[in-house]
Amino acid sequence: MVHQRWFTPWVLVAPAAVWLVVFSAWPAINTVILSFTNAKPLGGGHFTGLQNFERALDDDQLLDALINSVVYMLVCVPLLTFLPLLLAVLVEKRLPGITFFRTAFYTPVIASAVVVAIIWGWLLSEHGMINGLMRQLEVIQEPLPFLTDRWLLLFSAISLTVWKGLGYYMIIYLSALGNVRRELHEAAAVDGAGPVRRFFHITVPGVRGTMLLVSVLISVSALRVFSELYVLSNGTGGPGGRDMSVVMLIQLYSRGFTGHLGYASALSLILLVITIGPMLLLTRLGRNS
Amino acid sequence: MRKHWVTLALTAAALTGCGLSGTETPPQQAASPSISGSITGKVSLQTWALKPKFTAYVEGVIDGFEKKYPGVEVEWLDQPGDGYSEKVLSQAASGTLPDVTNLPPDFALPLAKQGLLLDIAKADQKAAEEYVTGGLDAYRFPGTEGTFGYPWYLNTDVNYWNAELLTKHGLDPKKPPTTLDELIEQAKVIKDKSGGKVYLMSRKPGLMDLANAGVKLVSDDGGSFTFNTPEAAALLDKYAAAYKDGLLPKDILTDTFQGNAKLFSEGKVAWTTGGGNHITSLQTDNPSLAPKVVPSQAMGTPPLYVQGLSVSAKSANTPAAVALARWVTNAENQAAFAHLVAIFPSTKASASDPFFSKSDGTNASEAKVIAFKSLESAKMLQPVQFNGAMDKIVNQQFALAISGEATSRQALDDAVAKCNDLLNQ
Repeated sequence: MVHQRWFTPWVLVAPAAVWLVVFSAWPAINTVILSFTNAKPLGGGHFTGLQNFERALDDDQLLDALINSVVYMLVCVPLLTFLPLLLAVLVEKRLPGITFFRTAFYTPVIASAVVVAIIWGWLLSEHGMINGLMRQLEVIQEPLPFLTDRWLLLFSAISLTVWKGLGYYMIIYLSALGNVRRELHEAAAVDGAGPVRRFFHITVPGVRGTMLLVSVLISVSALRVFSELYVLSNGTGGPGGRDMSVVMLIQLYSRGFTGHLGYASALSLILLVITIGPMLLLTRLGRNS
Repeated sequence: MRKHWVTLALTAAALTGCGLSGTETPPQQAASPSISGSITGKVSLQTWALKPKFTAYVEGVIDGFEKKYPGVEVEWLDQPGDGYSEKVLSQAASGTLPDVTNLPPDFALPLAKQGLLLDIAKADQKAAEEYVTGGLDAYRFPGTEGTFGYPWYLNTDVNYWNAELLTKHGLDPKKPPTTLDELIEQAKVIKDKSGGKVYLMSRKPGLMDLANAGVKLVSDDGGSFTFNTPEAAALLDKYAAAYKDGLLPKDILTDTFQGNAKLFSEGKVAWTTGGGNHITSLQTDNPSLAPKVVPSQAMGTPPLYVQGLSVSAKSANTPAAVALARWVTNAENQAAFAHLVAIFPSTKASASDPFFSKSDGTNASEAKVIAFKSLESAKMLQPVQFNGAMDKIVNQQFALAISGEATSRQALDDAVAKCNDLLNQ
């Protein structure tokens, strides 16, 4: 029998612990510290109390960004919680050629977000395919401003996120569906329950835990959305910057030689607090049910 | 319960990817160490995206330097095009700035303010005799005393017109517009004749357009932006009217300047602006379009773009660093560089070089000559304090004004207020 020294577990856990402290815990603590300073990339800064948070309260662009992020979350959470489940139920069946559909639905997930957003930019631009098609069909006379109107740009980005996320969450649901006992479906079928009733009374309760997990993941990623809005608006955040997300705002203030690290850190903390809200709510909902 | 909160907070922190870094380096006074002394030992040179296209050229310049000064060894670092400002920033913050670094003026300004760059006006008084004034002026900043870089090469903008599109739609490529009003007038002609399929104008105005309209962009002490004037509002109003009349593509509201050049190379718009070598680039991007392009001088005062080499104030080998910066930027080496790519030397000795002032008859060569002549009157139109974040804010506010969602005056007031916020906080 191999003799185990007392420090063996510590040695094994050390690399991961060091990684966590250096790249996760310390940056998080540093963000809190910086949020109470007027730090800049060069020249440091000094303690300014709650000044950055007071500035955030007066920042109309932050208000727009928060509205965008919340709308993003409110639309994405239900769509990306239920649509992938329906897809998973469809492709779960063992039919000839079903692998093709599973692969097709998953393909957008592996494509780079930036590449996908550029392709969508081509589709949605003034002279893009969608406007061209609608004009050919005489549905519209003038091109729709998908990329230059505040709300159309936001919903274009949301559509892109939903389309790209479907396959990813479908895979999560596929593994969860494997744990729903087949006998329950068979017994319900014998009792005369149709596919819709079986879906709502057997499948949904069987994957409720996974739905909660998926909702939490989507709410967090929706609140910190960046690449879709960034690429579709060419980094401008749309006219007036009203299509910026909170992360885009953080990027605006944190980059460059004269970046406002203190204010960007305060925005990060505000985003953190906002992110905890939906997580708590969803966790409580899950516990109650 | 407490454990539950802590777990949630840590999870959320990890998921939102919190974390920024900052340094606590106090500002320092600009140093001016002596440049006299033996030129020997190791010295580092950092360039920006010159590999692999100009590897042979730079290696040749370095070989020449090492031959001239036996005992000196140059370490050449070339950084990729993307993320260069972040790279320089991290080097400056960690005290690892190379001895000689390629810094455009807007990168050099914050480093100079922190005393990280050598004041060459103090350290090397002969520089003023050898480099053009405009180039040296680009490295003199409001609020600081000194000159913080050797100008390396210069460029400006030239107008490029698609002669085929202009002729097809009833315009004369030999008489291109020279003012904004003429431009709008001709843009109407193209729109009407092409049924709205071809555009002449395809970019939003920027601060340089305001400067050309006589708007004072920044206060004399450089401490605040001042471009919210009636003249600036009048210019934005003209663009807003043109946008409403369909003379500009709708997508320009979120398009970057690159969008304009891209639409030109795709043959969708008939006008763009670019450096002296734009036709050479077009020969690769769209070879059939390149011969149909007619260059002309930029409207108003041509903009001056400057690249330079700055010497670190903390260099352990200042004599060799200054000698290297001077060597790379001397007339001979700059001229050799300018023969490879359409840039223009910043040394007074190069002004009489016929290579830049005489055309071989091709449109690419015409563009080069126009750019070279434009440099005589070119000025740095954009204030050096104006950084990327400010540019984004101006872009956003001007888009609001042009789309008619805000009045020009309101958009300008907001842009100035936000830019001043960034400048002064």
